[in-house]
Amino acid sequence: MAGIVQDITDRKRAEEAVRRLADDLRRQAAELERRVAERTAELSEARDRAEGADRLKSAFLATMSHELRTPLNSIIGFTGVLLQGLAGPLNDEQRKQLGMVRASGQHLLELINDVLDISKIEAGQLELAQARFDPAAAARRAADTVAAQAAEKGLEIECETEHGLPELVGDRRRVEQVLINLLANAVKFTDQGRVGLDVRATPEGVAFVVSDTGIGIPAEAHDQLFQPFRQLDSGLARAHEGTGLGLAICKRLVDRMGGTIGFESAPGVGSTFRVDLPLTPPSLTETP
Amino acid sequence: MTRVLLVEDNAQNRYLITFLLNASKFSVLSAEDGAEGLALAASGDFDLVLLDIQLPGMDGYEVARALRQNARLDGIPIVAVTSYAMTGDRERVLAAGCEGYIEKPIDPETFVAQVRAFLPEKGGA
Ligand SMILES: Nc1ncnc2c1ncn2[C@@H]1O[C@H](COP(=O)(O)OP(=O)(O)O)[C@@H](O)[C@H]1O
Ligand SMILES: [Mg+2]
Repeated sequence: MAGIVQDITDRKRAEEAVRRLADDLRRQAAELERRVAERTAELSEARDRAEGADRLKSAFLATMSHELRTPLNSIIGFTGVLLQGLAGPLNDEQRKQLGMVRASGQHLLELINDVLDISKIEAGQLELAQARFDPAAAARRAADTVAAQAAEKGLEIECETEHGLPELVGDRRRVEQVLINLLANAVKFTDQGRVGLDVRATPEGVAFVVSDTGIGIPAEAHDQLFQPFRQLDSGLARAHEGTGLGLAICKRLVDRMGGTIGFESAPGVGSTFRVDLPLTPPSLTETP
Repeated sequence: MTRVLLVEDNAQNRYLITFLLNASKFSVLSAEDGAEGLALAASGDFDLVLLDIQLPGMDGYEVARALRQNARLDGIPIVAVTSYAMTGDRERVLAAGCEGYIEKPIDPETFVAQVRAFLPEKGGA
């Protein structure tokens, strides 16, 4: 008899303990759930804030590029009208001074475009066009753009394009931008000799090679050149103008296109920059 | 005389484009926004429409679609004037009913020739 009573109280006590344990577990589970919900809310709030900041950044960039470019385009546009003599004849002095206004306006526009481009790329806001283009024609257009600067220094840009290069699909304007930057550097840092641009097909797509016989780049500087604002000749007394953004933009554009950019250089002998882009002909990705 | 309807919100751009076209003997009527452009299109005869895409209120795409509803403009080219910075705009511009586009900033030396390229052969200015 006593044994049975003992059994019952034992069992009751055990049941009681199990119930308490279960209650505890439920409470802890509820507590955990509450904490997870709390953290989730915090996280989603943080994510909303970050997304809001991103949206703000891209809205700011869009506004800035519009607000900075619009007045400059107006300056360049009206100067062009005046220089064409459309608003009446100009004397030589007026033409010369207006020419300086236009050149400065264009220079300022290029700087603004560079700063906006690098910000846009860093903010992940750069979108690349996908349309068919002729890489040989792109190379020639880039060479034409820099031809006047080259002529001023008595240099000529020798543009060689492999025969029968196929049309490719990509962002023609951005490809030209990279080539113009490389050619402008080649001209800027070369006083005599030659500047060349070669275009050839590769198994992966296309390669552009810009070579010069200029001052060259010392080996210890090789690692830094593709970082923004890096210039070998800095300080106010420097001999060449520029922001130090050109190569940084080139590198980022080429990266985004899935390609590679690199160079070889010997001080006093010259430099050769090579851009490889994995762009394919339109056969598979048909676009007009 | 070639008659152009210009829709452009920036006053200086409006002046510049009007000046260049006038210098080449085009006549230009201009509007500051889409609503004014639509009103002008409803009451006048034009040979070509030049349409800024970044407009306040109704944007250029909406204006183009609305203009295309207007039977008076059947067969009249609508040409968007837009900056390259606006991505994917080529397809959007065509889808909205434009013939094509001229890139901003406009180049005063080539602008009129670019406009002429959108006019039917025989006419000229
Ligand atoms: N072809 C070249 N020959 C010699 N130095 C070069 C060449 N290209 C670039 N550099 C060096 O790399 C630096 C960074 O180039 P870049 O980013 O284009 O800026 P920027 O041209 O505005 O100075 C230049 O200031 C120059 O010191
Ligand atoms: Mg440079």
